[in-house]
Amino acid sequence: MADNFPIHYLYPAAMFFSAEPHLVHTILGSCVSVCLYDKERKYGGINHYMLPFWNGQGLASPKYGNIAIEKLIDQMLRKGSRKENLIAKVFGGGEVIDTSSNLFNIGKRNIEIAEVMLKEEGIKIVASDTAGKFGRKIQFNTQTGAVLMKIIQRTVATNTTKE
Amino acid sequence: MSKLQLTDQELLNELKIRMENSITSLNQLTELNKELKLANVKLNESESLKSHFLSNITNELVNPFASILGLSKAIMSIGASDFEKAKPLAQLIYSEAFNLDFQLRNIFAAAKVESGQTMIDINNVDINSLINSVIDVYGYKSKQKKLTVNFNYTTSEEYCNQFIFPTDAEMLKLIMSNIVNNSIKFSSAASNIEINAGVLDNELFISIRDQGKGIPHDHLERIFDRFEKGNKEINSVNEGYGLGLSVTKAYIDILGGRIELTSEENKGTLIIISIPKPTEQVPDGFASDGNEFLFNDVGNQTF
Repeated sequence: MADNFPIHYLYPAAMFFSAEPHLVHTILGSCVSVCLYDKERKYGGINHYMLPFWNGQGLASPKYGNIAIEKLIDQMLRKGSRKENLIAKVFGGGEVIDTSSNLFNIGKRNIEIAEVMLKEEGIKIVASDTAGKFGRKIQFNTQTGAVLMKIIQRTVATNTTKE
Repeated sequence: MSKLQLTDQELLNELKIRMENSITSLNQLTELNKELKLANVKLNESESLKSHFLSNITNELVNPFASILGLSKAIMSIGASDFEKAKPLAQLIYSEAFNLDFQLRNIFAAAKVESGQTMIDINNVDINSLINSVIDVYGYKSKQKKLTVNFNYTTSEEYCNQFIFPTDAEMLKLIMSNIVNNSIKFSSAASNIEINAGVLDNELFISIRDQGKGIPHDHLERIFDRFEKGNKEINSVNEGYGLGLSVTKAYIDILGGRIELTSEENKGTLIIISIPKPTEQVPDGFASDGNEFLFNDVGNQTF
């Protein structure tokens, strides 16, 4: 039945929320996606942020975790969700770029901000798959809250050098 | 002695490693604190700029509307015999409305980026005609300042000497509008604006050079921040909300590209934009290398 749900491809720094059932696909490296699901109303939303904090540069977009998470929760609440009915699933935050010169573990800090903010909001993380040295592709079913995940090995990034 | 016991040397080595580790984390912490401090300053600035924005918006929306209303009233009262007098008035209305429309576009684009609802729509775009159409649209502005705008598109054999490049046309149009508008705004009268574009190694390059007043050095790094304007005086000739370049930067980020600015005061500014050809996986959501990315086979984990 989920086969005929419309598929939405979620770009980095974007968010998706709809009361209509959708399958949301996204590919995560060091980015993190928080999937929020309302158990009562049977709908959900998802973000895809690249950095933990907005530092005041450029636009305050959901490219940044603190903004992306806040906005996603806001959107669900505005639609009529109650916080106690929300559950969260968190994915991503891998170390896909070689970390010798990494900017203080972006992946790790992306995961941390999700954990901290969701805890503050009192939203339980019921499932997660984070960190590790690989990317992930996830599919979020906004009607059931189910997430399918596939590991993407970093073969392309490291084993083949540029010709 | 049991093997579990460490020799003095081993103990020393272990201590040394731990010391080094704690020094590294201390350094990282200092670095992070520095970032945090900067972010705090920026947030404060951003807050005050936001309230500035609200006072600005009244000025910049109300004034053009007032002149549009006044001018159209003037046109209405013109008798049929001297209809010729209507033309310059209509031109003024056009330019006021044009500015309003452009500012609103930037505001809506910024709002969309900030709410995470910007969608990319990749199509084969005729870059040559896109840039030419932007230059045309701003033609009346450059004419007012007697500027010469030269545009050159360098084709290559790789693209069969065509002007086609796959990208998001609407985004590129707004990016170019902002850049061209800025160049015109800050150009000295009767000077030249040089625009060059071309595709090299699967990347689209666009450069714009003006002979204007340039950007002060200390302002360069804040230039993409929202509500940030070169000249903050409310009734300055520098109209706009300081959103144009933040939208430009955000769009270029979304397209995976880069923007570089070099500027010399009173000599001019050079802006170089590069936008990579989208990887195939991005537009339709799937990698071309088959099953690895599909879900209906084994190897999925369900959460």
